[in-house]
Amino acid sequence: MSDGLLHGVVYSVLIVSVVLTATAMALWFERKFAARMQTRLGPTIVGPIGLLQPVADLLKLLQKEDIVPDNADAAIFNLVPPLAALAALGAAAVVPFSPSVVASDLDVGVLYVLAIGAVTVLPIFGAGWSSNNKLALLGGMRAVAQSISYEVPLLLSAMVPVILSGSLRLGTIVQMQADHHWFVVWPFFIGLPAFGIFMLAMLAEANRIPFDIPEAESELVAGVTTEYTGMKFALFYMAEYVHTIVASAVGAALFLGGWDGPFFPGLHWMVLKTLLLFTAVYWVRWSLLRFRSDQLMGLCWKWLVPMGVLLVGAAATWVVVFP
Amino acid sequence: MTALQTVQITRRVDPHLSIDRYDPEGELMLLHFGPQHPSTHGVFRMDLYLDGEKVVKVIPHVGYLHRAVEKLCETLAYVQITPIVDKNDYVAPMTNEQALNMAFEAALKLEVPRRARWMRTLFAELQRIASHLLWLGTFALDLGGALGGGSTVFIHCFRERELVLDLFEEVTGARFHYNTHTIGGNRHDLPAGWSAKVHAALDVIGPRLDEYEAMTLENRIFLDRTVGVGKLDAELALELGITGPILRACGVDHDLRRDAPFHAYDEVKVNVVTAQGGDCLARAQVRLGEMRESVRLVRQMVDGVPEGSINSGKPVKLPVQTKIPPGQVYVAIETPRGELGTYLVSDGTQFPYRLKIRPPSLHALSALPYIVPGGTVSDAVAILGSLDPIMGEVDR
Amino acid sequence: MGVKTVDDGAAFEHPLYRTLLSVPGLTVATTALDQVLTWGMSNALWVFPMATSCCGIEFMATAASRVDIDRMGTIVRATPRQADVMVVAGTITVKMASRVKKLWDQMPEPKWCIAMGSCAISGDFYRNLYSVVPGVDTFLPVDVYVPGCPPSPEALMHGFLRLQEKIRKSRKGETVTPETNSELLRVTRPSIPRMVDHERTPEMDRAQIESADIATEVEVTPAVHASLAPEPTELASNISGPDLPAVLTELGIAATGELGPPLVPARRHLEVASRLKSRGYRQLVSVVATHWVPGTARKGKVPDEPEHFEVSYLLRTVGAGSRVATWAVRLAPGEPVASLFQLFAGADWQEREQYDLVGVMFADHPDLRRLMMPENYDRHPLRRDLPANLPYAPWR
Repeated sequence: MSDGLLHGVVYSVLIVSVVLTATAMALWFERKFAARMQTRLGPTIVGPIGLLQPVADLLKLLQKEDIVPDNADAAIFNLVPPLAALAALGAAAVVPFSPSVVASDLDVGVLYVLAIGAVTVLPIFGAGWSSNNKLALLGGMRAVAQSISYEVPLLLSAMVPVILSGSLRLGTIVQMQADHHWFVVWPFFIGLPAFGIFMLAMLAEANRIPFDIPEAESELVAGVTTEYTGMKFALFYMAEYVHTIVASAVGAALFLGGWDGPFFPGLHWMVLKTLLLFTAVYWVRWSLLRFRSDQLMGLCWKWLVPMGVLLVGAAATWVVVFP
Repeated sequence: MTALQTVQITRRVDPHLSIDRYDPEGELMLLHFGPQHPSTHGVFRMDLYLDGEKVVKVIPHVGYLHRAVEKLCETLAYVQITPIVDKNDYVAPMTNEQALNMAFEAALKLEVPRRARWMRTLFAELQRIASHLLWLGTFALDLGGALGGGSTVFIHCFRERELVLDLFEEVTGARFHYNTHTIGGNRHDLPAGWSAKVHAALDVIGPRLDEYEAMTLENRIFLDRTVGVGKLDAELALELGITGPILRACGVDHDLRRDAPFHAYDEVKVNVVTAQGGDCLARAQVRLGEMRESVRLVRQMVDGVPEGSINSGKPVKLPVQTKIPPGQVYVAIETPRGELGTYLVSDGTQFPYRLKIRPPSLHALSALPYIVPGGTVSDAVAILGSLDPIMGEVDR
Repeated sequence: MGVKTVDDGAAFEHPLYRTLLSVPGLTVATTALDQVLTWGMSNALWVFPMATSCCGIEFMATAASRVDIDRMGTIVRATPRQADVMVVAGTITVKMASRVKKLWDQMPEPKWCIAMGSCAISGDFYRNLYSVVPGVDTFLPVDVYVPGCPPSPEALMHGFLRLQEKIRKSRKGETVTPETNSELLRVTRPSIPRMVDHERTPEMDRAQIESADIATEVEVTPAVHASLAPEPTELASNISGPDLPAVLTELGIAATGELGPPLVPARRHLEVASRLKSRGYRQLVSVVATHWVPGTARKGKVPDEPEHFEVSYLLRTVGAGSRVATWAVRLAPGEPVASLFQLFAGADWQEREQYDLVGVMFADHPDLRRLMMPENYDRHPLRRDLPANLPYAPWR
């Protein structure tokens, strides 16, 4: 019992600190990556090749005045930023970074990830509601509609590897892929589209372009975070990146074989795959324009949900035919 | 009043209907959109009455940049006015200067040398490229956001716009607000080797226009966001006095460069770009097409600029004393945004008695109450971006 | 509250101050910590762009790839809550000033302000006019002034570097020396005297002009290519167009007026408009009102008539050979003229503008409110009997 507890604590601390460091790096990476796409240089002055830019940003945000607007619901307003960060970090608990590096390989890991993912909408809605700002309220409204809708295809596409491997435990799903094939490789006609739907739905859950309508800054200024200053904004900002990183990690575990790969240790492969997915997310973000909210709903309910249902059926048939 | 009754008035949104008629229960949300907002293109305010996301009624408010240009002009001598109007349409300053000085020249019945007219044509066309590039960038920002694909398009557009500004800087010494036109011609002659630089810049810009068309007109999300959004019918556009690309996007084949030639446009053939539909997509198509047409025109004309004087007036030691005989004159040119006119009332002194600048953007904005209702907030942003308003000339 | 006296804090000493000083190593630690915090603060200046006009475009160019302000960690935030620096880029009008102040108050401390361009610094040549605030430092604490009209992107970048220097030094209790680059100061000094000068009277203008012994009219040289040049007189005659006389004859109206467009009796002008519309003049170009006051014409070229308003209407045909038709209506002070709104929807804003600025009343207008000036403004600034440098409380 105490061994398990020790293991949990040690790995939790380890993974949280690694993910937070990775987040800081991700901030830098995204700025450099975006700048390169736009024929700019990005941060160059602060630290070598601008590496210390996220540190400077954080130090600055720490020193900023903390403002709670008049007539805002102060309790909720102050509560939701840490909640957002926690909800985003929580999902990292069950991600298997290697056969041994995992904070807690739950029996129902996939269910846990989805459940925690569903919580992330609450802070966003709370922020929109409590700010006493019409733009934030509109943003919160959009976020709720979007997140609840995209839960459905997310769930359906996550069901595919679960059915194929016969387990809800992430470790087992990865092991299954390591023993046979990655699900995007075989059966690719089920795994590949399911992977696509999963990533799209994850983008939508993380409010990334082209699905970033809750904070569409050309329409809603800064959406739900319009009224947030200093560290509270930093928590939201960080939560967004943590969410993207964790989503990439979960996607890699569910479909890309997780830590499975030749030559290098499993941890390297997991980090590499996560980074790859993460880069893809930013590539999309800095290339595409934004959907309108009704088109976003249309995409979800008209395309992703029916496809998800079909894929779940196909996966079930596949398992029955080739057990 | 019998004549009035024969005029057909089509059914359209009544912009003056009281909000109580839409919303007797008071359940609509009033969203003040602007005057400081990332996508209002300066300082412009729309009061949006929202039913959820849907816009029910729009009340536009202008005047947040009313700089009293017309009053200022009444206190200045004619040659001093040019740098003032530069700041009106600050995305296309060249055309402001041209429209103003052409009015003075028309009132003085002053001949502009052919070289100066060719140079003005070249400047106007290069300015059109720069202005439309800026429009494309900001329109993409409106559709895609400052932290996403929109800003990528935006920064790419600015990269090409800088090339055009470099050309102007070489001639006039200024990045914008050139003050290069004056009564009877131009101030600065073309430097040696300028045409080669123009060709070099167009060699870069031309192929990139293909990229922009691919990035926009073949982009599924761009099409989703623009097709059928902000539909404006031709009759309403004409009544509102809308000109330029927005009118041509309604299918009206009207371009002052061809229909009432000024500068040297009577010596070249201008292909007028039109599109059907009157929606945001049509406006984008027209502007992208016009950039190509401008590239073609500049390439065609830049090597053939005739020799000669660039100013008709003899060197006058005190140009401030230029006097215009009493009378009234209206002269209009086609700027990147449409018909920019100058209505001059002179009383025979060296100061204008009344100088009214007729800005195309003001008329474009007056369409908002007719075309925004029915769309969502996102559509309102897209429509505003597609009208390409420059608040400097709207408010003056 | 009572009267507050200035307390410079010199006499204050925290009770724990001595104790803390005696803790070994504490001062070293806090100094290091303060340096780290200062480093972070000065290297992550997020900007809230208060971009109203031309300078806003140069601000965008600063963010674009040629200069790329992101190199020093500066990004643009659309909401004031997350910004450290407000860059006031452009003219601030009286109508806008209260909004700027509000946005400034919404920014969290510590915060800084950069006044970009001469309009934000001093109001530039608009500074004495009725609607412009003469510099944002009348209501905001400005940290860095970046001169220019507009400043080049490099100049703005320089301003940001100076701001970083100021932040670092002020944390240490030092002060920043003002710009000592004499070359820069020379460039930014105005090259010509102020165009609108409080103390300069029209008499002084007249004295200067009449004392000069130089040719008073611009001389016209013959055209270089007479065959190709458009007849400039054609432009001047465009003002009334060929169809208008026919319409007037049809209606049996004897038009008067010599120096301007034909004057039509006010009660029949709707008929003229509707007749012209059915003849193809479908586009409303503009509505121009002029206020004529006896004694304002400076050299007496226009005969002294009693005070009146003249409203000119401009319509245009669409397509090849586009023509303009202009007629005018003469009104006594306070006399209304029928609105064109029922015929041309665009007359809505045009007439509102003329009502706002000149003070002409339009009968049957659906929504005759001010367009440019704030609702509570009590004058019509373009009336000729008002001086150009009309003060507007509370800024001047």
